[in-house]
Amino acid sequence: MSFSLNEVEVTAKRAARGAGYPWGLAEEAGKATRWLCANGQDGIAELMRLLNLGLAASPASHSPKGLTEIWASDAPLCPLATGALLSDCARSLPGGRIEMKQVANPVFLLPFAAGASRVLGSTVTVECDGQIAVVDGKCLSVADRFPATATQITVRVGGDMTIPHPRQTRAAPDPDIWVRLNRFAHRTYAPATEESRKLGAGSGLSDND
Amino acid sequence: MTLQGKHIARREPAKVMRLSRLGSLHQCRLSFMRVLTRRMADEGWQFSRPVFDIDDQGVGRAVYTAQGPQRAYSLVAFAHDLPDEKRSDRVIAEAWDATFALFDGIPTKADIDRLSQNVPVQEAGRVSESELSLSRANRSVRLWAHVVDRLAAGRQPDPQQIDDVGYLMRTTAVYGSGKFGAADRDVIADRDEAQTPFQIEMLSVYLTRTFVRDLVQHMAVAKGGDQAVPMHSDIARRLGIGNSTGLGMAPFIINHPILFNNWIMAREEAIASVRCIPSATPDEALAFLGLIRRSVLSVEKWRSKHPIQVQKLQALKADLQALTDHLAGNDLQQDHPWDRLMNWSDAKLSEEGQELVASLLLEPYGHLVDGLSNCMSDSNADAFRIDGAMRVAEACDLIRDRFGWALDLDWSAREHCARAWYVSEEKLEPRMGERFEEPIMEYEQPLAPARDAARAFAALTDWDADQPVAAFLLRHPEHRHTIRRAQMSRLAPYSEIQDNTISDSVLPIDMLRAKLSFFGATHFDPRSDRWVRICMYAGAPYPDELSPDNADLWVYPEAEA
Repeated sequence: MSFSLNEVEVTAKRAARGAGYPWGLAEEAGKATRWLCANGQDGIAELMRLLNLGLAASPASHSPKGLTEIWASDAPLCPLATGALLSDCARSLPGGRIEMKQVANPVFLLPFAAGASRVLGSTVTVECDGQIAVVDGKCLSVADRFPATATQITVRVGGDMTIPHPRQTRAAPDPDIWVRLNRFAHRTYAPATEESRKLGAGSGLSDND
Repeated sequence: MTLQGKHIARREPAKVMRLSRLGSLHQCRLSFMRVLTRRMADEGWQFSRPVFDIDDQGVGRAVYTAQGPQRAYSLVAFAHDLPDEKRSDRVIAEAWDATFALFDGIPTKADIDRLSQNVPVQEAGRVSESELSLSRANRSVRLWAHVVDRLAAGRQPDPQQIDDVGYLMRTTAVYGSGKFGAADRDVIADRDEAQTPFQIEMLSVYLTRTFVRDLVQHMAVAKGGDQAVPMHSDIARRLGIGNSTGLGMAPFIINHPILFNNWIMAREEAIASVRCIPSATPDEALAFLGLIRRSVLSVEKWRSKHPIQVQKLQALKADLQALTDHLAGNDLQQDHPWDRLMNWSDAKLSEEGQELVASLLLEPYGHLVDGLSNCMSDSNADAFRIDGAMRVAEACDLIRDRFGWALDLDWSAREHCARAWYVSEEKLEPRMGERFEEPIMEYEQPLAPARDAARAFAALTDWDADQPVAAFLLRHPEHRHTIRRAQMSRLAPYSEIQDNTISDSVLPIDMLRAKLSFFGATHFDPRSDRWVRICMYAGAPYPDELSPDNADLWVYPEAEA
């Protein structure tokens, strides 16, 4: 079944929230998953893989310890928290590069690098254990899938878009993974009670008039 | 001293963005329905009904096509025979009198067959990238029976009964923008006819109204045979399409801060531009006075039994009388007449009256106002990105600017946080509950920007003012959504409701009305504090009547001859 990218974004945001991310990062997860799908990546499966790691349970240990030259922590970095930081720091990127150690599911850095590239008006290269991806404001050029975890990441300004993925307007996730992602989203929904049915939507009147 | 070139600024967000004022907004030249009918008339859109295959029980399908200069759109309609006990306007309903999809182009029979398997079940089905919206409608049982019976018996419907209800069917949801598999907004965003928001949804409702007129006529003929008569066009024109809007729509204006800002700012810019006009011509003054008279008629037809709206309507009627008296002795032509009128209405009228005056004074100035409708979409996707280089001190300033009033509020006091917004498991629709009485707190949605701003502000004050906000967010990701909104407010002064959206006295109908007024809705009839019925397109010409002469001011009823 094919889904609109709006459905992808809404579901991804809810799922990230359901997995324990704060709302602001859940919003980032929604946009990032949408961006991956729009650029021909299986954003849904990637998000599922990430949420299964449960990094949101201890956010501090999966975030860079500080805004130093090398971003690292004692445990693998969460790509949503780290990617958001990358996007936040886009303007300080031109002078140099940012290095990161141990990033879980690093493909999720790419949408944030794309955001930085829009701000900078330049392509941005993300090198991940030898794998190279280049993004511009809109598109992604990457040869192979990024690894499940990266030991060494370098982000720098510039790079050539060699083979940009054609942009997609729909996503066709694996139905089983879609169901499992929706289970995360489901955690954000309050169970219905008769009281909430009546009060919550505010209507108890007949409509036969 | 010369008054030429006097600069009058837009009204302050602190004034405009209060809930009681947002809940008193009226339609204006920038309303999405009027923008659409003006465009279709100016561009000479052609309308046709290639399919009308409906049986004597009122069951079947129909297609209505609107052909614009570059492309066509088609309403695919399915009519059903719905038992009374299944008729519910609630979003959780599962069957309707009629269901619709707006198809991007002209559908083939295979498309219609595919839609016939999905559209009648609405949320339980799937549509595709070829569809731009999905919607449904229920009959007004009372008026439907009256109109069918009268026409079938060879008589015209009673105008009084038509005015009492206002519509033969009311839509209960019009889903666009990628919902249930439909095409994303991005697919149409670059099209000329989609530059103003919600044009596709407004087109769907416009064609739905035509379908409903045809269907009621068809049923009258099925019942009365040769005796049946066609409905007079002046009676048909009075009929709008109703709409029942529940709580689900209220969060929209909080969740789309830039978009909502653009709507409000366009209207405020229009009001400020007209206030700057040093003198009005006799024609402009006459046009305004004529529309005041027609507004009096419109308000007379506005029915509501809800105590809040009853009171507001009383005030509005008194306002219109005061306005009429005031204008009788006043020259509207000299000395910045519109600015003087706004200042007078500020001092003398209720918020309903003030906002009606503000909307009406735009009417003589289409050449100044109408172009602003192209600035009402949100095309600034980059506003989502946070500038982490901003200093903590500056982030504090932004929050203080928008939410200064909220910083000293005791947010733990029950009355200030009595409510919580959540999404129900049952239909995935937003609801509002009692924080201290229902088990909903852990499901709370981020729909209390003022409270969240106060929380973020408190956390920011512990930080060195010169630190970049990126460092703050690295340690406090829970404030990320609030910093994002604060930064958006730099570009969007009207992005935030400047009121408490979780207090024990919040009225979600104020949020619903703010949004619906921009659609161009009239006759707001709250059915509770969180559910409102409205009327759309009442008075509008049908597609076969639409011309540049009648495409704009139809929203104001004319005195009967």
